[in-house]
Amino acid sequence: MSLATLTKPWAAFSYGFLDASAKRELRRKMLKAIAVPGCQMPYASREVPMARGWGTGGLQVTLTLLKPTSRVKVIDQGADDSVNAASIRKFLHRVSGATETWDTLDATIIQSRHRVPEERLRDDQILVLQVPNPEPLRPVEPNMSTARQMHADADYGRLWLVLYEQIVRSGRVMQGAAYPSLVNGRHVMTPSPIPRWDVPKLNMARHLTFLSAGREKRLYAVPPFTRVEPLAFSDVPYKVEDHGNLTCSRSGVTGFFMNEIPQEDGSAVHELSDSHLGIKAIRRAEGEAAPIGATWYQNGEFRA
Amino acid sequence: MAYVATRGGERAIEQSERLFRAELGRIDANRVAQIRNALPWLIDRVMGEASLYDRDLAALALAQTGGDLYEAVLVLRAWRTTQPRLAIAEPVTQERLFTHRRISAAFKDIPGGQILGPTLDYSHRMLATDVLEGRPFDPAPVTPAVRPAPAQQPSLAAWQKAQGLVADPPRADVAPDAIPDLTREPLLFPASRAHTLQSLARADTGGVLALGYSAMRGYGSAHPTVNELRLAEADLRVRHPRGTVFSAGRVRVSQAEVTSKGRNGQLELGFCATLGWNEVKTIAGATLDLNAPGAAKNAATDPEFFLYHTEPVEASGFCIHFKLPHYVTFQSALDALRGAKAASPAKEEVPA
Repeated sequence: MSLATLTKPWAAFSYGFLDASAKRELRRKMLKAIAVPGCQMPYASREVPMARGWGTGGLQVTLTLLKPTSRVKVIDQGADDSVNAASIRKFLHRVSGATETWDTLDATIIQSRHRVPEERLRDDQILVLQVPNPEPLRPVEPNMSTARQMHADADYGRLWLVLYEQIVRSGRVMQGAAYPSLVNGRHVMTPSPIPRWDVPKLNMARHLTFLSAGREKRLYAVPPFTRVEPLAFSDVPYKVEDHGNLTCSRSGVTGFFMNEIPQEDGSAVHELSDSHLGIKAIRRAEGEAAPIGATWYQNGEFRA
Repeated sequence: MAYVATRGGERAIEQSERLFRAELGRIDANRVAQIRNALPWLIDRVMGEASLYDRDLAALALAQTGGDLYEAVLVLRAWRTTQPRLAIAEPVTQERLFTHRRISAAFKDIPGGQILGPTLDYSHRMLATDVLEGRPFDPAPVTPAVRPAPAQQPSLAAWQKAQGLVADPPRADVAPDAIPDLTREPLLFPASRAHTLQSLARADTGGVLALGYSAMRGYGSAHPTVNELRLAEADLRVRHPRGTVFSAGRVRVSQAEVTSKGRNGQLELGFCATLGWNEVKTIAGATLDLNAPGAAKNAATDPEFFLYHTEPVEASGFCIHFKLPHYVTFQSALDALRGAKAASPAKEEVPA
């Protein structure tokens, strides 16, 4: 027996790009994140061949999960062919051999920036959200050590105060995306900047969600069947974006989150933000077989 | 599908990268060698921020990115992080450095002497425009000193410690494997001394200068005096599996120690060192380190503030990420704005 029989031949890069020690670190912290839902786990975030802030946190989680049999979907703002999503998906395929897909139903791993697909995710699917800022307390406490202490004490009074002040000043809660939400009744998390429309999709969901911030070196998780409750006063209910009655000008579909496209005549038209759902709807209208899964929203209303 | 036809992102990103690379043209070993030899100070700066000491790779990264420093550092860091840690070198002490330049502003003369070494400090900063008119610039030859300075120099702080001017904190022996490694662990606060110095060593030169300068101008509590500034070469001594310690080569290092009168009647020291020769970064970094104890939370001299914000890969990456589409979050904010507007049609009077 020689040393050569005990080791693998040298290769310029490891399978899935990250080396074994990086993946071990990620796996440990991902398991820990599942064990304490919504709690931010600091991790040794590695540099990857992509700029920080461009999905490097999501990328490291996805690279750790990928297998050659994986089918991976990457979306940015809901679109599969957005330039950065296309670049990430190409990279994932290149380093792992995983199959690229645009179809939510077909994917085993979905890496996303700013959106949760409209079709319900199953228990055999994992959602990986790219997170720019993992700290819901950042607007009230920019210092990370202090914020960490506040989480330990479940000291969320100042977050409630911000919401209260918004109601007093503007007559309503002004928080747009990244709505602070209480996970499993214990930790407040920022659900990455997904719109308010998407937050209910994480509550008691069948799928596992990882949220990972590469630049800030924090990851957290929402395991299946975990409560995710947006912070809201009992007399001021949580409101999602008023998109339930909008119709997509391309596909004719109504009742989902839309992109607003300003027109030269001063008006605006809308199109489905979940671009592949739009493509499938158009294909169906043209008589092709394009199965659309059950959706979280029906007729513009969330159905648990 | 009409839906797809209007986008075509994959082709666009490929062509935009080609456009960038077309301007740079062909990159060959000759170009890399020229960059390496012509721009040693830039190479040093890049190696320090990448925390990867390899002149050829640094020159290649500069060639590949057309000299975009943040891109060059990112390429090197992404490569570095996939490489295994083969060995941990023995600690390098000041008196074992092969010193090229060593000056102190605290005393007129110091044991071992002031050694100017290579510097532009006293040069007249005039452009050599003759070069552009076809008259090459040939540097005048250096006349060797009659008595060459010894290669190894004592540490000034050691003299100060012997005089009781500087505290001599107790040292604990740490096993090589137990030395904290910033590239394998997240930076948390309060940061360990090792993480602080490692983070400063790979920090962005411009960022450290900006925050250090703010402390020097008066936003810090301590005014720095350069106790000792060194440009040197460090012997990389590693242990062979058989047990022999051998030199695996030398790396250029720079380090600055700044001092000011402390509160307890002794001198306080601030320290910063980096791979490569980079005086501005080490003086500014040492100034931040000097001001760190007792700094107010969220001040530029608070370690959490300056270490997070001088990380070149993170800072530059986040800055350019704002170019990515944000129309979903924007749509969500727009919805809240319109909702509030609809709820209160009457305009609020603004008091004069």
